[in-house]
Amino acid sequence: MVSLARRNLLHDKLRFAITVTGVSFAVTLVFVQVGLFLGLLDNASVTIDHIGADLWVTSRNTPNVDFSHTFPETLVQRVRSVPGVARADNLIVWFMQIALPNGAQEGIVTYALEDFRAWGIPWDVKEGNLDDLKRGDFLFLDGSAEQRFGAFKVGEYREVLERRLKIIGRSEKALSFTTTPMAFIDYRRAQELSRESLQGRTTYVLVKLARGADAARIAAAKAEIARRLPHNDVYTRAEWASKTRSYWVSSTGIGMNMYLTVFLGILVGTVVVAQTLYTSTMEHIKEFGTVKAIGGSNADIYRILAEQAVIAAVAGFVVGAAMAAATSPLMERIHLKLIVPPPLAGAVFLGTLVLCLAASMVSFRKVASIDPALVFRG
Amino acid sequence: MTVLESSKIVKRFTEGRQTVEVLRGVSLSVARGEIVSLEGPSGSGKTTFLSILGCILTPSEGDLVVDGTPVDAARPGSLPSIRRRSIGFVFQQFNLFPALSALENVEYALNVKGLKGPAAHKEAERVLDAVGLADRMRFLPRDLSGGQKQRVAIARALAGAPPVLLADEPTANLDSSAGAQILDLFRTLAKRENSALVIVTHDPKVRSVADRVATIRDGLLAA
Repeated sequence: MVSLARRNLLHDKLRFAITVTGVSFAVTLVFVQVGLFLGLLDNASVTIDHIGADLWVTSRNTPNVDFSHTFPETLVQRVRSVPGVARADNLIVWFMQIALPNGAQEGIVTYALEDFRAWGIPWDVKEGNLDDLKRGDFLFLDGSAEQRFGAFKVGEYREVLERRLKIIGRSEKALSFTTTPMAFIDYRRAQELSRESLQGRTTYVLVKLARGADAARIAAAKAEIARRLPHNDVYTRAEWASKTRSYWVSSTGIGMNMYLTVFLGILVGTVVVAQTLYTSTMEHIKEFGTVKAIGGSNADIYRILAEQAVIAAVAGFVVGAAMAAATSPLMERIHLKLIVPPPLAGAVFLGTLVLCLAASMVSFRKVASIDPALVFRG
Repeated sequence: MTVLESSKIVKRFTEGRQTVEVLRGVSLSVARGEIVSLEGPSGSGKTTFLSILGCILTPSEGDLVVDGTPVDAARPGSLPSIRRRSIGFVFQQFNLFPALSALENVEYALNVKGLKGPAAHKEAERVLDAVGLADRMRFLPRDLSGGQKQRVAIARALAGAPPVLLADEPTANLDSSAGAQILDLFRTLAKRENSALVIVTHDPKVRSVADRVATIRDGLLAA
């Protein structure tokens, strides 16, 4: 069957290129913006996702994992006494000042535990032995710190809260939502560094339940811990990760910014497609009149416009997705993650189709009302 | 056998508060295989009458029967199916699709009429061969001369063997030699296909191929 839609669309290659560019621009924008947002959200809860805790005990109303508050570290004993709890340890998450070789002061978010291996953090160790952390004034620094602090090597020293610590290891992929570099130090060392705030205090209690704990047991343990620690909050891992991510979405402008950019991308894409399809339709108006004159119905006309919209959508999506994929390695270089899960790709594809078809309706309204008698006009 | 029968056709157009009666009771019957030249001065209403015969416009009053099917002016939605089934058009400006080759122009018209796939392809080749364009089938309209374009348009009108062919000034954009060839070809093919052919024209040469001449003046058919 002859496709007038396809042939007309490809006949004017420049206009087709403009249409595809408009769609692909919108697709790229949505992919990059949402992908970066998901990447940042992934960073926001990346430590929660990797630490092997079934439950997290926090101080009351802690908004997210980075913005921690302290409570007495002895509360961990009460948690350990709860039936079904296999292990419970204190975790300190705390912002500290680090002095760089050039004299500048920067912030780091430190994770402090007595036994890092037991909790699986950091999960991607490139250099060093985590067990050595408790043997002196040592720290592990994540490789992403190079973006902010410049290059560093294991064996070098950095001042943290005016105390010289030796870098004895390097991890990777431990990123925070705020892009503040992450460091790992011994639990007691962290308390010594910030005595005023942390002496005898912790910011979280990590809880691991006995092997094989199902949802019901987790819920029961959570309720019991909450009963014994009435001035704290208790979350499952999923709840705490979700709360942390939700904080950044709802309590800051970043969620609105993402939605706004996506909206603008969609708007620009739709307007470009609608405008180019409309212009193309107007230029071919006599041809549509001819289609009607030779017996074509409005359904035939809409089929032509819809086919053009689908071609523009598919081509634009492919180009846009390829462009977004091409930006991914560039993002990685600056330690930004672009996460595009298959459901997002599917949703963007469907959205592109729907928007292009909707854009074609602008033209259809015009064509549906044309008088086929115009074919007799010179 | 009458294939096109119009009776007392009246057509009024309203613009603002003014109503203009373009046709004032035109009756015309055309039999299968008959060629009628429809003549008249500019503004006499002949193209409007052709549009009504071709089920593109509906009459304000009067009756029209195309290939045995009465045209219901109250149901304009039924007109496309009559056009698909029974009518082939040839236009003054050719009205070919610029992005389609000669073959595709004809094949697409057949697709619209409901004939698809290899059958449409074969029929398109047949009619293009009949108009003498077997060696130009893959050419785009821009690569064809005016006469060749009109041949493609005639092939498109003939495709699917409609019982009624309507042509609006088919020689107006052609030189006299090409125009004469087109008229001869049109007559030959209309006769061969046993189709009724109505040609709206100012061109006196059309009389030489017509079986009958009908003249419209001031919205009325002169004897």
